[in-house]
Amino acid sequence: MIMDRREALLLPVSPWFIASSLLMALLLSMLLGLSQALWLPDVLAVCIFFWGIHQPRRVGMATAFVLGLWMDVQHSSLLGQHALSYVVLSYFAFSLHRRLLWFPIKEQMIQIAPFFILAEALGLIIRLSTGDDFPGWPMLLSPFIETLLWPVANVILLAPQRRAHDPDANRPI
Amino acid sequence: MALESLDRSPPPFFRVGFAPLTKLIFFSALSLLLVFGDKQMQFTKPLRAGLSTLVLPVQWLVLQPGEALSALGKYFQNLDQALQNLKSAELKVLQQSVRSQQVEQLQIENQNLRQLMALQASVPVTSQAAEVLFDVPDPYNQRIVIDRGQLKNVALGSPVIDAGGVIGQVTRVYPLTSEVTLLTDKDQSIPVLNSRTGARNITNGDVLAGLPVIELKFVPASADVKEGDLLTTSGIDGVYPAGLQVARISHIERRVDISFARIHATPLAELKGRHVLVLQPTSANMSTKGKTP
Repeated sequence: MIMDRREALLLPVSPWFIASSLLMALLLSMLLGLSQALWLPDVLAVCIFFWGIHQPRRVGMATAFVLGLWMDVQHSSLLGQHALSYVVLSYFAFSLHRRLLWFPIKEQMIQIAPFFILAEALGLIIRLSTGDDFPGWPMLLSPFIETLLWPVANVILLAPQRRAHDPDANRPI
Repeated sequence: MALESLDRSPPPFFRVGFAPLTKLIFFSALSLLLVFGDKQMQFTKPLRAGLSTLVLPVQWLVLQPGEALSALGKYFQNLDQALQNLKSAELKVLQQSVRSQQVEQLQIENQNLRQLMALQASVPVTSQAAEVLFDVPDPYNQRIVIDRGQLKNVALGSPVIDAGGVIGQVTRVYPLTSEVTLLTDKDQSIPVLNSRTGARNITNGDVLAGLPVIELKFVPASADVKEGDLLTTSGIDGVYPAGLQVARISHIERRVDISFARIHATPLAELKGRHVLVLQPTSANMSTKGKTP
């Protein structure tokens, strides 16, 4: 059986929770960016991809583009570099969203890893083509760490939807 | 029943807007346009300045936990260490006072000599102190952000120094902050003077064994350069005032197959303290001087 039936019933998502989770991811990636470690994952990319899979009608390419511009200004990188990789991620999230959730988490991770690698590679290609040097091998780790964050995102970002709707002694769910 | 009351638009389930591929092409083209504009045409400057002003309060918020931690750490710092710091600071002041007295005397002497030779008097440099906010997260270049911007009259291209020596140059000015590119960035060069031999060189940022250093460019393999030579700004570029300490030569490699020597120097800037000085570019000083009657 490919579908995990226990995941089938979720409460409707709150738009405020989506917005606040994106904001928290933004703040977290700004904080991680300050440490200048190359291998640190881009939490915001994971969050955008996650909502692109689970709520494709609410978080789309326009949101990804605006958040990407914000990251570009904050990182002081080339304007449009993060925007492009987030938009591409968001597009592939949309094209995957009907299929991906039918698989268990481990198989989902195998399927999404290439897209995180692609997003990282896009940023790298843009910078290399504008005359920058390769910053270092540890940066190749970051898409894999982002993939490993996928189950964590599944637990945290779906938690409000999994909460008991009207808990009762006789009716726990 | 009026016809208008009928909802003729498709139910929201079917309303998906533009096709995803159209959106992808539109936003990718927009991003690539911005990349090109940012790299080549500079038309994204106002956009970046506006957005950075918007980002600044959030950045300030993100910086607070770290600041609070370091403040707490300082609070619990050992008394012994504080006394030691005081002692070393006093010693440093003493040493510097000896030197500054010499400098006073040398300055008068220099002025007299300049008058004798009818040379232009050297321009006094105006400066302002600034605080380092953070290192720029972009891994491709080496920059720091300081808390003075356009509103405090920081000019594009201003040299920035600290207690040790030259740090770099202001390369982006926003209303409230500005970005300083370090000397060790690979796109940053500075004209220097070898204070032992008087030879003038130009340097570039480079990385040697994982450490950011600066490299002296186009020095013939036979040139007189020794490890430990002090490099100071030569002052011929119209940006850096002459005589600021830049770096000390730390590594020389002369090879037979190349006609140039590979020479690396370690910057003298400490980059540990949080405070730096932003100087006015010397050419700006001269031009304002020229304008005033």
